[in-house]
Formats: sequence, C-alpha cells, structure tokens
Amino acid sequence: MRISSIEAIALIDANNFYASCEQTINPHLRNKPVVILSNNDGCIIARSPEARALKIKMGTPYFKVKERLNKLDVAVLSSNYSLYGDMSRRLMNLIKNQCEQIEIYSIDEAFISISRPNDKNLYPWARSVRSLIYQNLGITITIGIGENKVRAKIANKLAKNIDSSAGIFDLAETKNENNYLKKIAVDKIWGVGKQTSSWLQSKGIKNARELRDIEENEIIKKLGIVGKRLQLELKGHKCLPIEKNKKSKKEIQVSRSFSTPITKLEDLTQALATYAIKASEKMRSQNLQSSNIRVFARTSKYSSQNYQRSAHRQLINATDDTNNILKIVVELSKEIYNPEYKFSKAGVLMQDLTNSEYLQQSVINYKSQKDLKKSTSLMKTIDFLNKRFNKNAITWAITKKQQSWSMNKNFLSRSSTTDIRQIPTILK
Amino acid sequence: MDFSDSTTKKFKVPLLTDSVSAGFPSPADDYTEESIDLNEHLISNPFSTFFLRVKGDSMINAGIKDKDLIIVDKSLTARPGNIIIAMIDGEFTIKRLSIKNNELYLKAENHNYPDFRFKNHIDVQIWGVVIYSIHSYL
Repeated sequence: MRISSIEAIALIDANNFYASCEQTINPHLRNKPVVILSNNDGCIIARSPEARALKIKMGTPYFKVKERLNKLDVAVLSSNYSLYGDMSRRLMNLIKNQCEQIEIYSIDEAFISISRPNDKNLYPWARSVRSLIYQNLGITITIGIGENKVRAKIANKLAKNIDSSAGIFDLAETKNENNYLKKIAVDKIWGVGKQTSSWLQSKGIKNARELRDIEENEIIKKLGIVGKRLQLELKGHKCLPIEKNKKSKKEIQVSRSFSTPITKLEDLTQALATYAIKASEKMRSQNLQSSNIRVFARTSKYSSQNYQRSAHRQLINATDDTNNILKIVVELSKEIYNPEYKFSKAGVLMQDLTNSEYLQQSVINYKSQKDLKKSTSLMKTIDFLNKRFNKNAITWAITKKQQSWSMNKNFLSRSSTTDIRQIPTILK
Repeated sequence: MDFSDSTTKKFKVPLLTDSVSAGFPSPADDYTEESIDLNEHLISNPFSTFFLRVKGDSMINAGIKDKDLIIVDKSLTARPGNIIIAMIDGEFTIKRLSIKNNELYLKAENHNYPDFRFKNHIDVQIWGVVIYSIHSYL
C-alpha cells in the first residue's frame, strides 16, 4: 500500500488539431499539406505539419496566398466544427479514463492530475496515453508534466520544441531545470500578458528562470497577488487547482461575420433570426432556458465607421421556445438597426440560463401550462425532424429568403463522424 | 408518436392536482423502462468507433455488400483473419487481413479482385477493425 502519493499535473494537447481531424478521417489528406480557414473562409487558422514545412503562416488572409497554395497543391478546407467538436468529445473522454481529474481547457487542451508512481517515472504512463490516443483517433498529442499548471504548460512547450522528447516532457523530474526554463521567453509563460511581459522585459527579465528568481517584493509591488502566485508556481508550488467541474455555461452565443456588409434592416433581422433559431436549438439540446435575450450588431473593426449597439429583453419566465425568442429578436433588431452604418457582424446571446428541471413552476397557471406543453412538444418534434432528416428540414420562413450575407464556407469537408448521410465511403 | 430520445430529457411537469389512486398498479410497470439500445450492444468503445459506407462488391464472399453500413473500431489491434479498413494511396479500402508463407497481405473476398501486398505500396495504414456490417433488405 502506498502511504502517500505525490500528485503531478499534466497539460495534454492535440497537435495541429483541426488539420489532424481532417487527415484522420479523409485518406486523401494523409501526408499532404492541409490548411484550415477561419469562419467565413477569411484566414488560415490551422496547418498540418506538411503545410508548416512549406512555411505557410498562421493568420494569413486566404486571398493573399490563394495562388501560392494552389501552386503548392495544398488542400484548403473551411473549418468544420461539427467534426472537430465530435473528435474533441472523443479525445477528452479517452483522456478522462487515463487520469484522476480532468479540466477541459479548450477544444484540444486539457489539464489533468495523476499520481506519481513510486519510481517517480511518468514517462511510461505518458507514452501509453500517447499511443492510446493515436491508436483510437489517429491524432498525435503532446504531454507536458510538472508540479502545477504553470509548469505543466511550460513542459508542454518544451516537449514540442525538443525533438528528442518525442512529445513528452516532465519538468519535475529533469536534472537541468535551469537550462530548460531559460529557453522559455517570459511572454510565452501561461498567465503573462502583453503588459506584464513588457514590464518584465524593461526590468531585464527575459525568461522563465529569471522570472522565477526575481525579488518577490518587486513582483508583488507591480503584479500583486497574481504575480506572486505565478512566481510560486514557477518555483513548483501548487496554487491553481484543477477545476474538474467548471461552472456550467452562463450564456449561449451565436454570432457570425457577414460575407458582405449588411445595410438593410430586413437583412439584419433575417441574420439575427437565423442565429436565434440556432441558439434556441442549442439551449434545448442542453436542457437550458434563457430569461434574458440580447442581440448585438457592429461595423467592421477596420472601417472608419465605428458603431456598435446591443439591446436586450428581460423575461419573467425563462424560455427555450423558438417562436417566443424570434418575436423578441425581431423587435430587438429594430432597436439596434441604424441605416447609416454598414454592419459586418451580429449575434444573439441567451443569458441568465437556467436548467429546465429547475424551472419555477409556481408562476405558471393552468392555461400557460397547457401552452407550455404544446410548445415543448412542438419544439421536440422540430428538433427530432431536423436531426433525423436534415439540419434545416424544418425552419422558420424568415430564414428562407436569399441570404446574401451568409458566411462563406466554400471548402467545407463532410461531417464524417456525426451525420450518417455524410460518412466516408470505401471504394473497393 | 414519441419524439423523445436519450439526449433530450423529458420535461418534468409536476402533479398539481390531487393524485388519484385507484385499482391495482399494472404488473408490467416495473418492466417498461428498458428497451434494446443497439449502440449499447454493437459498440463497446464508443470514443473510437466510426461509421463508413461500403461501395462495391469486393467483400461479397464475406457477406459485405454494396451500400452496407460498416462499424469500425479504431482502438482494436488488427489480427490475421480480421476484416479491416486500410488507407492505401489516398483511399479507404476494406479487406481481410491474411497471412500466407509468413507474410501479411490483404485479401479481397471476391475472386475478381487481386490480393494486396504491402511491399508494392508506399503509403499504407491499417485504419481500424470492422466489427459489424449492417445490410438493409429494403
């Protein structure tokens, strides 16, 4: 029996996650340069290792490199969030089975806690997790291990940058800690923002080792308790816990940039209605209801116009009924519309979310109880039909008009793992 | 018709009226909850299971026909005798992993298709093991 075990923290993330998802499910993309474009096909947001090797940069606007990508025979894809979301769900569940606690940090990143074995060597465990994930999903992960979150993050960076590490690095068990910390620039440390890093650099603090060793009072004077905590974590103390039950989402947002700016009220209303339908659907799938509905619209950040407006409606009873929500959103769109501006982005937010099971029944009288039953079964039916047949098999007339503003998704791959009509085909 | 499924929890409506107890409870009440869920029976590793669609008749002798739905578990290690999905030169292929003279090869279950030898190809990856095929008779 082990008397006490030392807990270690690991940061696991998937390498080139979006591109890997596409490559694992589509044989044509294997070993080929692949880039993924942002919403609206604007910029490059992910690259396969083969595309990195061609020195294609992150964040480059697509139109600028279109010809070059063509010449290099790079596969260009719109972002396919139903695929990435499904692969992420699989990834996180597989990781969850290999650790004690998990905090899902982003779509492709998780902090986990594990106990250190008696020989302190976590490399065999890490190698087995890595090969498990590769075998199950065809996705390569990087594992950084340390005593706490900040050091696990640093270890993960080191695992990526040191070729011989084979995707795994344990900062807590290395003999040359100082050498490794020196390789991490201050602005690359988790929790160090732009302002902090420029202050540190003005003080001559350039890397993680120097930040760890800076006079404690100096850091507290400038950065307060946050800075002290950061330094303590760099030294190996554990200050930030794993948050295994992150608070449930406080709001649901659906917002998009338009492919061409909107100037007409009719178009703005239509766009907001489309997003409202989607947001209501999302709420129902999570058994949530909103009692505060907000819409917003803004002009482009890059245009000389600078206008943004939002409006909201507080409700007595929370709702997830698309009909109710649409009525409100149509009214709100009139409130934020202004004919003098060209809108480039708009969205709806469902706020003050509550779980349907805790819905306050006391305020509902008999008549509305009946209406509620009717609305619930209508929404259920619509959701069922859309799931069964096609995303928009049934929708509201307001969305059916030509949508000139809708997002470009010219290179969308199929929903290979989430839609039975789009699963891959085996040729022979 | 009931449109509820496992992902949408039933909306709970509290009993506002006095409850009425009359007669005997149905003897079947305790048994009505369960129904057969194919997911549960066909899929043991849900996070590594994928669906694919077969096109063509290369596996006809193994009972896998054109348009069949294939359930593939990527977590399983392929063994000789298994039907597997491979990625070969940019295509998905379905074959039986076989062994002859100490050499692994991929066998089509149809005499009109040649066997596949690994050494003739540059880019081969065994992608997953086929655990079920589903054929529609309609």
